[in-house]
Amino acid sequence: MRRMAGHPLGTGRAIGVAWLIALLAVALSSVSPAADDIDGVGLQEEAVFRAAAAAVAPAVVRVEVAGVSEVGLGGPAEASPASGPSSGLVVGAEGWVVATSFAVPKDATQAVVTLPGGVRHVARVTGRDLARGLVLLKIDLPAGTPPLPVMEAVPRAMLSVGQGTLVLGRAWSASEPSVGVGILSATNRAWGRAVQTDASVSPANYGGALVDLEGRVIGVLAPLPAETAGMMAGTELYDSGIGFAVPLEDILRVLPRLQAGETLSPGIIGIGYASRDPFTAPPVVATCRADSPAGRAGMRVGDTIVEAGGQAVTRVAELKHAIAPLYAGDTLDLVVERGEARKRVAVRVELVAMLPPWRRPVLGLVPRRVGPDAAGNPEPAKLPEGDGEKPGVTVAWTWPDGPAARAGIVSGDRIVSVRQQPGEGGAEPASLDVSSPAILGGFLSGLDAGTVVDVAFDRGGEAKSIPVALAAQPTAVPIGVPTTEVDPATTAVERLGAAEIVRPAWAVLPAATAQAPLGVLVYCGQPAGVAGIKPSRAAEIDEALKREAERWRGAATRYGVAVVLPQSSDPQRWGREDIATLARTLDGLRLRRAIDPSRIAFAGSGAGGAFAWLAAEALGPAVRGVALLDATLPRQATISPTEPGRSRSVLIGSLPGAAVNRIDDDRRRLEAAGYPVGLLPDLAGDGLPTETLCSWVESLGVL
Amino acid sequence: MTACPMHAMAATRRWAVLAFLMTATVGAATWGATPEETIAGGARRVVKLYGAGGVRGLEAYQTGILVSPQGHIVTVLSTVLDSDGIDCVLDDGRRYPATLLGADPRRELAVLSIAGEELPFYELPPSDPPPAGEAGKPAAGVSVGTRVFALSNLFGVAVGDERVSAQHGVVAAIVPLEARRGAHEAPYRGDVYILDCTTSNPGSAGGALVDWRGRLVGMLGKELRATATGVWLNYALPIDEVARGYRNVLGAGSELSPPTPDPDGLPYDVALLGIVLVPDLLDKTPPFVESIRDGSSAARAGLRADDLLVAVNGRSVASRAAVQQALAGLADGDPVRVAVIRDGSIVECDLGPKPQAGRKP
Repeated sequence: MRRMAGHPLGTGRAIGVAWLIALLAVALSSVSPAADDIDGVGLQEEAVFRAAAAAVAPAVVRVEVAGVSEVGLGGPAEASPASGPSSGLVVGAEGWVVATSFAVPKDATQAVVTLPGGVRHVARVTGRDLARGLVLLKIDLPAGTPPLPVMEAVPRAMLSVGQGTLVLGRAWSASEPSVGVGILSATNRAWGRAVQTDASVSPANYGGALVDLEGRVIGVLAPLPAETAGMMAGTELYDSGIGFAVPLEDILRVLPRLQAGETLSPGIIGIGYASRDPFTAPPVVATCRADSPAGRAGMRVGDTIVEAGGQAVTRVAELKHAIAPLYAGDTLDLVVERGEARKRVAVRVELVAMLPPWRRPVLGLVPRRVGPDAAGNPEPAKLPEGDGEKPGVTVAWTWPDGPAARAGIVSGDRIVSVRQQPGEGGAEPASLDVSSPAILGGFLSGLDAGTVVDVAFDRGGEAKSIPVALAAQPTAVPIGVPTTEVDPATTAVERLGAAEIVRPAWAVLPAATAQAPLGVLVYCGQPAGVAGIKPSRAAEIDEALKREAERWRGAATRYGVAVVLPQSSDPQRWGREDIATLARTLDGLRLRRAIDPSRIAFAGSGAGGAFAWLAAEALGPAVRGVALLDATLPRQATISPTEPGRSRSVLIGSLPGAAVNRIDDDRRRLEAAGYPVGLLPDLAGDGLPTETLCSWVESLGVL
Repeated sequence: MTACPMHAMAATRRWAVLAFLMTATVGAATWGATPEETIAGGARRVVKLYGAGGVRGLEAYQTGILVSPQGHIVTVLSTVLDSDGIDCVLDDGRRYPATLLGADPRRELAVLSIAGEELPFYELPPSDPPPAGEAGKPAAGVSVGTRVFALSNLFGVAVGDERVSAQHGVVAAIVPLEARRGAHEAPYRGDVYILDCTTSNPGSAGGALVDWRGRLVGMLGKELRATATGVWLNYALPIDEVARGYRNVLGAGSELSPPTPDPDGLPYDVALLGIVLVPDLLDKTPPFVESIRDGSSAARAGLRADDLLVAVNGRSVASRAAVQQALAGLADGDPVRVAVIRDGSIVECDLGPKPQAGRKP
């Protein structure tokens, strides 16, 4: 057996030579026609693979969705991987099959399952495991059908990195499973929810089986849930040497719940951490909503979590390892250290699937604009010293009839600190020195509307303090937003090109300084081809865009807003690639003008409105507002519920006689998800409400 | 969780296996070449090709396989060959200009010639014209699970006398090629070997697929995406097809490419069967039946409004477009059988022979 040494395949611990030969014997008896066909270790291993694959093949099925439509931003030529056949694994003899939510998306209630014999069955979705991206299907087997074969699960504790593995799927061909070979790369991935293999895992075998060399099932092949991989759906990883499987043992543990029709959700405790880097930062609570499991359990901003589920934790990542395998409804015991004295406090949180939508609470004051600091931080932690500015947040104007205005705060007041009034139970109330609008906003985001806050401020050298009751962020565009006196002639209207952008945006750029940075409004119109311009005439499109830009000059100057008019790369439609282009365009804008990061909004009309929403979702919390003019959201557009630090103001405007039902529907969906939704007056008349939109951008800075 | 019958079965199987082991005489097996010898032997017969490219970011290199003592090379027909000067570099560093002898556009296979001497080569299997309906069947001895080496100049990393790169894997599936490159469908429709190693790389096209016995079993294909799933395909053209394409180009044993139905021609009008599907408004509209024309073959077969088509002659159809493609792939007069979902069950319906386009049913 000299040639075994240095062989590419590690055979792992338990599989000794005896097993290899034993399985070879199976192969000899069942697969290979003759013993002298086996000549060499490599071919003997091949026989082992075949035997293991043959053992599990009867439980691997084909899964296809039926009756699900697809509307994408992409062109028809860009096939979505989700549209093709995928695989599944039998987990119950009476017709239970596990597949991935990749193959059976959330709007599908049934699927077509093809059994190894080639017979198709309709299967209904009975349960979903949203934490692991799996779905349980049930086939009603006709009377007299033999039970489906169920495979033995490898106990997770018996797995070891380096052992040989096979991947089986049935998408390529219904009559014969596809086979791939590799090793087990890791036994604990995706915060404890998956194991990893280097065998080829792709949309074609998602839902299929990860198999050991004894012909037992290790797990069900699956893309990682999006939030762990930080990618669209984990599908980008195929052909990369990385594949994941959810251990079958874990699936069998929750199988009765899925069979009973439950939807298992990832558990949320409802806190935000002070640092974004989970691997270096200690788990310090930065936000903690009162209506979250953590808030109900008595956790507070500033607490440091030191124990989770009986295990010591020192990093955010370790805490995630404790939380991720749990489902909503599970409980988790935590120990936190609190205050200067580092008092240890034990709390028990009951995880939930979803927090109630968060409605951003505000004082109703609009601070003076602040730009990014020299270090490139979006908002400076402290204002630069030595320029005469004292620490604090200076009020530019107050929202008409808002809490701050009613309490008597006026333009020019400089807020220096805020303090939550003592609540029930005599708990120490939170208090904070205010050095920037971002810090004040972060403090307010942890409170609920109705909370009374003592606002300490400086008015002409005199220190004052007034109690102000927080209100939900207003939805309307206020009347009487202050304007500047700048001459519109000083405003530049120019192309905003950048490397690799084929069709550059036009931009309206008022003058700006570091002390008076600009707000940003990206306005996406109808694609040129749709608007009636021949797509071949690039120069004509460019010219039309320039004319359109001129219409914004007045309003943009008065409110100090940079207006960007991007073009779609395909003249017929806005596409996903335009989102990346838009991000680069905004980077280019930051090089030319100082920008106030708290006043960035997207707007669009028609197809451009749908694009504006999708682009805002893709670019995240940086976009503080979206205006939809005569536009409806794509039906499949995600509307992520708001949470502290992630909300945006939405404006909806419609032409008279527009599809009011669809627009009302959008409005209800957005409001249910926690967004403040305002209505624009009718868009009839001269069309674009440039004045209203630019004053709205200024008002987005409200705190 | 209910009782798992396989637990008991698995245990029984193991005992049977151990019993078998007692009597098995493994020593009787004959030992073949080592993987190292197999790869070295294969790589000597594989050449690096350099030609046109560079425009539009396309690579200017690929791989070829020597298949005759006269210096014939089979490779993939691609834009790399759109050049007056194709350079061919052997495993030992010898460099020859190559001439394009011809191409088989359906298999996207090209034959080149170099004027070298003492050239190592793979002998292609004899290719009798395949029996009707047998085109594209895999070579004997290759099946799902067969271990293979892929030898190619992927990413052009091998230069001069450096040996081409070797990858290892298994044949993951043997299925008809349904693939596209950009918006263009691949013309070849026969079976290919899907591989579980990543061969869909620049420069891999035209490489050799060799089994662990050292036999040439296929030629690596170009970078294509699967039509159904959109994933990149790692695939190889089976050796028998390579041989047919080669002889086709040389004109020896000349095989006329069997006319293949063109599924990408005009979309087939399902209305000829009497089926009216819901309007095609979305990128992917599910093929729900909107109505059935009275007296049509669909009506006689019992199809109804609101049925959801899931398969046409066994081929899965997830969208209206897929239904039209599946029907277009059938010849006039072929029997048409569809599967639909009705009230939560699969119902099979026989629609009789496919009506000829241009005739009212």
